[in-house]
Amino acid sequence: MKGIFRLLAILCLLTIISCSSNKNEQPKETTTPPPDTTHTTIETPYDQYTVVDVSPMDMTYFPADYPKLKMAKAITSPPLARIVYSRPHLQNRKLFQEVLKYGEPWRLGANESTELELFQHATVQGKRVNAGRYILYCIPQQDNWTIVFNSNIDSWGLHQDSTKDVMRFTIPALPTANHVEYFTMLFEGKGTEAELLMAWDGIEARLPFRF
Amino acid sequence: MKRIITLAVVLHCSVLLLAQNSFPPVDKSPMDISYFPVNYPVLKIQDKTTGPLIARVLYSRPMRDRRTIFGGLVEYGKLWRLGANEATEIEFFKPVRINGKRIHKGRYTLYAIANENSWTIIVNKDTDTWGHFKYDIKKDVVRIDVPVQKMSEPLESLAMTFEKTATGMQLVIAWDNIKVAVPITV
Repeated sequence: MKGIFRLLAILCLLTIISCSSNKNEQPKETTTPPPDTTHTTIETPYDQYTVVDVSPMDMTYFPADYPKLKMAKAITSPPLARIVYSRPHLQNRKLFQEVLKYGEPWRLGANESTELELFQHATVQGKRVNAGRYILYCIPQQDNWTIVFNSNIDSWGLHQDSTKDVMRFTIPALPTANHVEYFTMLFEGKGTEAELLMAWDGIEARLPFRF
Repeated sequence: MKRIITLAVVLHCSVLLLAQNSFPPVDKSPMDISYFPVNYPVLKIQDKTTGPLIARVLYSRPMRDRRTIFGGLVEYGKLWRLGANEATEIEFFKPVRINGKRIHKGRYTLYAIANENSWTIIVNKDTDTWGHFKYDIKKDVVRIDVPVQKMSEPLESLAMTFEKTATGMQLVIAWDNIKVAVPITV
């Protein structure tokens, strides 16, 4: 019996440790009210020298986890694609009531425009997309999202210049059981077939790429 | 007896599952980006740029977190990743010079060797890697030694920014109470 209690105690301890280390993954929250990460005014000059962004930047490769695979010498071919984006979080807001509006362009991120870099040309919905850098934005509707590839690279995400649109792709937007607090982009797939998964709150959309 | 153990294991696992989903967590050391000209993306949408983008640095920002950084976490004389997670990347959109050497436009990985009074900054051609764990000296493009400057206000997060100089720019790297400036000729 004593053995069981010891086991229970160890399991509880493990659970507490794993939960608390998960908490450590979260950036330190500030006490300021949640900023509107989609319609913020521009503050210049911004103090990036000292301040960590409330919507932290992240990047995702295809093949997925490319840098780690490369480090482990598990891959020798060059990467095919990379997304650099910032990750706004919901902070108790409802995505399509308080953050985004149907039919209005959304920067698919926060801060700097979300960047897609194709290291070689790809095919998306039967259309050839040349290698190079693009910025992405989205026009969300209830059932579908239009993902726009635009050439106005290295820009801040607040204004989309539609005269620089390169291509538009409409994909289904599907409800999921997941609750995704931080807007998430990642590549799934293997070999030459990739899907760019975009997920936030309870919505997922997937854009297929063939390399 | 067996049932209690099974229950305990199931409970433990389900709590773990509830605490995680399949998506990547937000990084403990968040990524950030700095541009030269400084603040380029904002200037661009305000139509205030006076020239093209010349460089950007893409890096993750570890926190000091009450640790001794230089001479502690960052050991003197040893290769340091100059960031966290994915290797720190600098991209030049036109050719530049560092330490007299012409650097072609393109992407490079940055590393450093910190010492008490000076740092060696390493520009390396092996990109898209993780940290410094597969560092290959044969892929070095240039190295430059820069003096350590003390700061009165310590920084919690590693920070990088570009500053304009008479001959181009300098990449300023700062953390804790230390900063260095890497001159880059445009």
